Amino acid sequence: MNPNGIKVLCVEDEHFISELYARALGKAGYDVTVEVDGQKGLELAQTDQYDIILLDLMLPNVTGIDILKVLRDPGKTPQLHAKIIITTNLEQRDEVRQDIEKQADGYLVKAEITPRELVEFLGRVKL
Amino acid sequence: MEHLRKFGSGIRARLFWLLIIDNVIFAADWWASDKYFKLTGWQLIIPLAAVPIILVAVLPWLVARWLAKPTELISQAIMHVAPGDNQPAASPDPTNTKLGQELVATLMHNLYEFATAAEARGVKTPGLGTDFVASSLPLPLLLLNENKDIVFANEAAASYLGASKADLIGKNFYSLLDMAFPTADTLDIWLTDMKNRSATASRSWERVRLAPSDLHPLRLFDLAAYYNKDNSRHLETMLVLFDHTKSYSQDDQAVSFMALSVHELRTPLTLLRGYIEAFEDEFAGKLDPQMNDFMFKMSASAQQLTAFVNNILNVARIDDDQLVLHLHEEDWPGVIRAAANNLALRAKVRGITLEYSIAPDLPTVGVDRVSILEVINNLVDNAIKYSGQSHRIRISTRLTNEGLVETDIQDWGVGIPDNILPKLFTKFYRDHHNRAQIGGTGLGLYLSKAIVSAHGGNIWVKSKLGEGSTFSFTLVPFGQLSDAQKAGDSGITRGAHGWIKNHSLYRR
Repeated sequence: MNPNGIKVLCVEDEHFISELYARALGKAGYDVTVEVDGQKGLELAQTDQYDIILLDLMLPNVTGIDILKVLRDPGKTPQLHAKIIITTNLEQRDEVRQDIEKQADGYLVKAEITPRELVEFLGRVKL
Repeated sequence: MEHLRKFGSGIRARLFWLLIIDNVIFAADWWASDKYFKLTGWQLIIPLAAVPIILVAVLPWLVARWLAKPTELISQAIMHVAPGDNQPAASPDPTNTKLGQELVATLMHNLYEFATAAEARGVKTPGLGTDFVASSLPLPLLLLNENKDIVFANEAAASYLGASKADLIGKNFYSLLDMAFPTADTLDIWLTDMKNRSATASRSWERVRLAPSDLHPLRLFDLAAYYNKDNSRHLETMLVLFDHTKSYSQDDQAVSFMALSVHELRTPLTLLRGYIEAFEDEFAGKLDPQMNDFMFKMSASAQQLTAFVNNILNVARIDDDQLVLHLHEEDWPGVIRAAANNLALRAKVRGITLEYSIAPDLPTVGVDRVSILEVINNLVDNAIKYSGQSHRIRISTRLTNEGLVETDIQDWGVGIPDNILPKLFTKFYRDHHNRAQIGGTGLGLYLSKAIVSAHGGNIWVKSKLGEGSTFSFTLVPFGQLSDAQKAGDSGITRGAHGWIKNHSLYRR
């Protein structure tokens, strides 16, 4: 799938990581926006202008889990066509992780993939 | 459930004595009327009838006081299920505890209903009224009506929540108490569901959290609920709370420590691997062989560190009984080939070549891909570590006479002394003679054994000092894994201690 023009929102508070991802995704042809704050990230996501949302869980102001809940609540987010991919280094109890996976469209552990592998993964996401 | 037995025998014994005494009084009355007062015919009947009538009037009062005593035993039975702060912890089996909690909720409800019905019929059994049942319970108990308002709270509930009974009654349960559940499957969702479905239902939740407030500290508890749609007094829902604040907050802390540590370790790892890759991209073809070699070694080390972090995490989960595997049907040679690239990299760093010998026509196996790859990685890492001067490692796989798929990883390195062999698969064990030259902690083999056992296979080692070692493990062909274990959605789940959890059963 040709990534040209596909808009990605990366909500990630670690600058070094978001730079890495923005660099790799940008080179592959994606249009990447990075947001470090949870609340602002949520507001941006709700504008429904992104095709893919990479969502970290440990974020300032609003956690990724709460953002996910709001985005999946039709009362609070009436329109959202984006695929939500959780990108985290947090480890969870199985039942919590399964709960999150049910609400998202993907779940990645950042330490287990390189930026290139992330690009390949996104290439396989059906939009 | 010894206490219930004692309760049963307590009641039986007392009833028995009651009957004996009753009969003795009756017989004495008859004798007295007949022999002593010399009454006959009609006159005899009057005293004979009088005694039972008097007894019937007096007896219920005696009975109530007497029978009430064994309910102490029920209390004690409950305490076993809900130790609270003062009691030592009871048996930790979670399935039994869950059942126990739901049983207690149901039992409480039935006792309450019984007492309610008795009161309604006007039977005055002092001491056995609804208040007695609820108030004497050592567990916090709340009763909600169909609007989820609290219509009753016992003493234990009031003090647990740091309020007086008057403060609780009449208030809406949800607005008063902000309970947090570990998953999205909350009390509210269950009650809404039950409203549309059953007439009665019971359910319990673990690790429910009540955030600290001005009235009470942090509370962590298990919650059991009993729902009865058609309760005549509009007491739809009964809630019983089993306090575990002490033990759960310790658990939480342990998990958080693990979770935070892992998170902290993974962040720089993510960066290392990511920027090494970026470096390789930028300088592809422009570096001299030595630079290339440095890049290569950095990459392999970063991968090794990531694998190690995953190892610690899995060991912590096994110890906590949390590692769950999902077994799927896989082509075994395919899995080995998938591991091969990663393994070749690590081996090459040490100047070792990997050879493969894979038997044709192997049956498909039931494996959890991620976990079994870790086993292969651990065993090959082990072989690499103990290779000494040798430069080859051989990975072979074949079908055994018993129809199992056996995989062997052979090295021609330093070998392992006989006295150490039995301890190899235990936690942290490493041969102290080689410790100086060989890095790493002794977790890999412990983890591999747990994972292989959970797959239904066996793992073992054959070794000779100075000649090398062969680590082997077997896997069960997918067709041989019992049909009963294949659940609705593909795969079988198996805990790392070997017991099997069916998918649908696991998601209670």
